[in-house]
Amino acid sequence: MRNYLLPVLALAAFSAGCSQEALESSEAAGEEKKAGVSGTLSFYTSQPDEDAQALVTAFGEKYPEAKVETFRSGTEEVISKLQAEQQAGSVQADVLLVADAVTFESLKEEDMLLNYASPEAEHIPEDFVDPDGAYAGTKVMATGLVVNTKEESKMPTSWSVLTEEASKGKSIMPSPFYSGAAAYNLGVLTRQDDLGWDFYKNVKANGMGITKGNGGVLEAVASGEKTYGMVVDFVAARAKQEGSPVELVYPEEGVPVITEPIGIMKGTDNEETAKAFVDFVLSEEGQKLAAEIGYTPIREGIAAPEGLRTLDEMNILTAETSELLKAREEDKELFGGIFGQQ
Amino acid sequence: MISHSSAAPEKRTEAPSFFSFFHPKKWFMAIGFLLVVLVFVVPVFRLVLLSVLEDGSWSAAHYSRILWEAATWTAVKNTLYAVAGSTVLSLALGVSMAWTMAYVNVRGKRWMQLFIFLPFIIPSYITTLAWIQFLGKSGPVFSLFGWAPNLYSMGGIIFLLGISHYPLVYLFTVDVFRKIPRELEEAAKTAGASRRHVLFKIVLPLALPGIAGGGLLAFLTNLDNFGIPAFLGIPANIRVLSTYIYEQIVGFGPSAFARAAVLSVLLGAIALAGTCVQGLLLKRSRVTETAPRDTLPRVYLTPIRQRMLEAGLWLFLALTSFVPFLVMGALSLIKAYGLPFRLENLSLKNYHYVFLEDAKTGSALWNSVSLAVLTMGICLVAGTALAYVRYRGGGLLPKWMELFVTIPYALPGTVLALCMIFAWMQPVPGWNPGLYGSVWILLIAYVTRFFVLQVRGSYTALLQVDPSMEEAARVSGAHGWVKWRRVLLPLLFPGLAGGALLVFLMVLTELTVSSLLWSTGSETIGVVIFNYEQAGYTTYSTAFASVLVLAILAGGLLFTAWGKWWERKVMKKQ
Repeated sequence: MRNYLLPVLALAAFSAGCSQEALESSEAAGEEKKAGVSGTLSFYTSQPDEDAQALVTAFGEKYPEAKVETFRSGTEEVISKLQAEQQAGSVQADVLLVADAVTFESLKEEDMLLNYASPEAEHIPEDFVDPDGAYAGTKVMATGLVVNTKEESKMPTSWSVLTEEASKGKSIMPSPFYSGAAAYNLGVLTRQDDLGWDFYKNVKANGMGITKGNGGVLEAVASGEKTYGMVVDFVAARAKQEGSPVELVYPEEGVPVITEPIGIMKGTDNEETAKAFVDFVLSEEGQKLAAEIGYTPIREGIAAPEGLRTLDEMNILTAETSELLKAREEDKELFGGIFGQQ
Repeated sequence: MISHSSAAPEKRTEAPSFFSFFHPKKWFMAIGFLLVVLVFVVPVFRLVLLSVLEDGSWSAAHYSRILWEAATWTAVKNTLYAVAGSTVLSLALGVSMAWTMAYVNVRGKRWMQLFIFLPFIIPSYITTLAWIQFLGKSGPVFSLFGWAPNLYSMGGIIFLLGISHYPLVYLFTVDVFRKIPRELEEAAKTAGASRRHVLFKIVLPLALPGIAGGGLLAFLTNLDNFGIPAFLGIPANIRVLSTYIYEQIVGFGPSAFARAAVLSVLLGAIALAGTCVQGLLLKRSRVTETAPRDTLPRVYLTPIRQRMLEAGLWLFLALTSFVPFLVMGALSLIKAYGLPFRLENLSLKNYHYVFLEDAKTGSALWNSVSLAVLTMGICLVAGTALAYVRYRGGGLLPKWMELFVTIPYALPGTVLALCMIFAWMQPVPGWNPGLYGSVWILLIAYVTRFFVLQVRGSYTALLQVDPSMEEAARVSGAHGWVKWRRVLLPLLFPGLAGGALLVFLMVLTELTVSSLLWSTGSETIGVVIFNYEQAGYTTYSTAFASVLVLAILAGGLLFTAWGKWWERKVMKKQ
């Protein structure tokens, strides 16, 4: 269950004319204080606002001296903002958390990240942690199939449903030109022996539609405009929980996963607090919070929320991150060619 | 004909009045020009700089690379088609609507006028969503006729852009129509001119300032629109410049910004070309008589025709305004996206969450309204000043200033936001005054973006005033503030208010610029809607937007009532 108490209290505090800050610090005043973790931390993220807020609130309870200021937008917008700040002279963010490892890899290549081997990262599968410590995954988001249960009662088990005659013109996916997660999936799926570029050619031949992002895919499938969609798992699980007529399927060939990594910016002026924040997100407490909000945690030994699978229950498809980064533009161009980009 | 021949003697008097007016105030002009350059040109200049630098040295490599790519020219071609088509549609709808509302005896005009603005206020992704459902396979059109047009096409993009932006043309034209002296038409009719002849030789030429001004804004708005071509163009594989630029920016590569900058320069060139066409059109029209607003109908229809026209107008408004609004309202009441609209699936839980549980919506409303009022105030004063200088014809400088303030409006919001970061994070290298990261960067960005709306609104209003009015006021001893308060402002009021209203509404629902520039504590309405939408909470965002639209409608009613009062109390003194 989500904790609704604090937002309501905060609203009351707003209307009474005092600041949320005062409320938080007075609430947590009794807890032990840690030296050094204080001051303002600028946190740029692409998580949904509510989730980012829950994280910041929990961190604030543990470290009342520190104040976290959040900027939230889409991964694409957050990165553009960072790049523009870099161009203009100084990056304002201290900690960054956005969708996928390839994005972090590109920042690492531009030497914008600080290497920090968090002690908490030991409990996270090696594959999802940068060997130099530039970034580490914080959760697991698999891309699976979402199916409209009113249009189709028999749940598919394989990606091949998208290429079958019966589903011609009935499926949809996000565009890799606009969604970083879709670009990642494109890179991973085309590097699998049993899927490859043929998979994309065949789904196109079968009338696959494309839309801007994962939200658009879910809307199209939930409303019945399409029957099958390729979508990030938590979006589908959430919609199902709220009552939308959709079902989430993990195809048996395996699923590509993005990990919403976290990293510290090189120019940070509050290194200690930034490190404490990263530790907190990767800690058992932080990971339990992620599961409570509705994501599959990445740390070993913590259960996934209802409707989602944990890491060891999925068959994960991977590819070399640095190779994905190098080939990204080329992949997109090939994709554009197949899908008749004008 | 009338406008040409009678414009001639006026030109002779222009030169002396220009010198007598500007000579002592030349330095004012210099300061104004400097400010315009600092606020409007410098940020864009930083962007252009990116396009001509490679590894720190001058280079045309980015240009030569991009201009050789076939994809660039396809995007340019698509942009030209989409923008030309939608601007023509906006003009046709806006001008005929304005003509009807100004001249024909239909009832309920005040109500119609309010609803004309709805497509403009409702966020464009909601309008698009509504039309897709309306024309979709389970929509009413398909079930009635067994066929519905495909919106995911160039035609669909043109159609939605056109009907979303015709209110701009309407707003600029309707008042101009009302100010055309009725005697001119009557004289022409007496001289044997047919109704068609009167329309094309007298009414439309005289209304040209409004038509050209509104048409230009519709053109620019269609050019920088991202939401509609993204929603409809991605599935159809149609790229326009604004979506192509976004693709470059989010493509992350090392040359992403440089490529985006080159494409933005192309887009800017198209915008400038449009502005020049508009300038040429206006060159030949100048009003020589100041007529009071005449709101009485000039065309009386027989009762049957009147009813038919009213029914037609309401049907049009129902399609363009009510349908999206109803779809939005219906979505906001549904428990979960995709459930059928039945009683057991309805609840107020979305409203409950948005207004009682989420602390951000309250502060977002407050922030957006304060920002909108401040931006409107700044634009109203400074924009009218610029329009006045331009109207007095003070040489080349004002013309340049006008061009400069147009550019930020024509660029896609994402690009402008990046320019703002370049320019304002460290206005002087090494010195960060803390504007960026506070709410003030939003105010600066909004003024930069929407300034041109007020300039166009004020300029159109001024073109309706014969310069002799002002001279008469001066001769009678009214100077400075008295001249403005007693003579100019009452004459200009409706035009100024129209521009200010546009600025206000645009700021209130602004999305793309804000999504890059907001910070903790300065979230705006657009940011909250964007965040809901991205997290997959479409139902929350529609609940918030529905309340917003209702609030704006209520505000519109108040404004209409106030306008009525103003006409009665203030205009009577004239």
